[in-house]
Amino acid sequence: MPKILKPTQPEKCIGCEMCVFEAQRQLKKVGMEESLVRVFRKKSEGKQNVEFELEIDPRINILDIEKISSVCPRKVFEVLIEQDLVDGKDQKHEKSAEQEEDIERKKRFMIEENLQND
Amino acid sequence: MINTTVKKILDIDLEAQKAETKSFTDLNNYFGGTGLGLKLLEMYSEKNPLIISTGPLNGFFPFVSKASIVLINDGAVEDIYLGGSISTRIKFAGLDSIVIHGTAKEETVIEIQNSDAFLKEGSTDLESLGLPGKRTVIEFDGEKVISDQYFTTPENYLEKKFIEKNIKGLSITGTEVYSPKDFDEYKNLYEEILNRKDELSVEMGGYPSCSGCPMGCGKSKIGEIGGNILLNSLVACQYADKIYTDIGTVFSCLNSLGYEYTHEDIENLPTLVEQTIKKI
Repeated sequence: MPKILKPTQPEKCIGCEMCVFEAQRQLKKVGMEESLVRVFRKKSEGKQNVEFELEIDPRINILDIEKISSVCPRKVFEVLIEQDLVDGKDQKHEKSAEQEEDIERKKRFMIEENLQND
Repeated sequence: MINTTVKKILDIDLEAQKAETKSFTDLNNYFGGTGLGLKLLEMYSEKNPLIISTGPLNGFFPFVSKASIVLINDGAVEDIYLGGSISTRIKFAGLDSIVIHGTAKEETVIEIQNSDAFLKEGSTDLESLGLPGKRTVIEFDGEKVISDQYFTTPENYLEKKFIEKNIKGLSITGTEVYSPKDFDEYKNLYEEILNRKDELSVEMGGYPSCSGCPMGCGKSKIGEIGGNILLNSLVACQYADKIYTDIGTVFSCLNSLGYEYTHEDIENLPTLVEQTIKKI
């Protein structure tokens, strides 16, 4: 069953962008462009009320999303199983060897694509 | 690719209302941040410049999350440090420094997109400029200059300079992407340094954090005043001084990105900066 990265507690985000950089590093690049996770600062009234919004490209799920989740200092993300989401259950799950292989293949393709663009 | 042999400066002339990028091959020994900023201050001393700089490690390593601001205030050279996302945006704009000189006739908003700068009317809505998620917005609200709606600098040096120059705000967007020379070595070093967060002299918190720093410490809100030349030329956070004043660590970080600095270059930096200050 595919696993997905979900920001279950976005209100805890402090805008450090550690998730953005981790996702980019997994694709062997450093920068904000074409990142599979993006952090937006929400315009808010008053200087103290800074809020953030997260936007996740579904392609992020071919990366090591456990690592992206764990790099967040505020535990904004959870790694969930698609079926569990449908069932309304939020459970963590291990990938099968076949899934791992498929993920590695897709990741290699994205890295090669990036290197060609570089 | 990371340009490790050239310092790229965005020169913004408010008087002439024009901007251009300049590349210098002879400023590498100043590293970046305050070292580079002070050298530029010497070069632009007749033009009352406001100089905002990043260092070579900004955007690449954790806890290297500040931007250096060098200026002259009441005849004295001052260096102050601003947190938030400004350092990564300048870095990903492909710039080492932004030099703003002269005085605008009318209140002005400056929009920077990578190497290009556009001067706009002061009434321009800053939120309408640049690319959300890849930009930093710096706004003067009449009292303080505030970056990302939260981060400020100590004293009122920056505010006075904004008033003097008729600057209402800046938007800086960076879309450059880099691939470090030795990516595996870079990644290992990154993780090694990230695991040293217990060596920082601040506690983790839930405050808005600087880009590339997981601490959320709350102290970065008010910025910093200069101290250690190496730390300030890398523009690392002052609370990460145990990590980024260690010459071996700094050397390894620079080397993984492709910089060819030697240990001697790092050791000689304070003397070089001291000599530069004497000339200003």
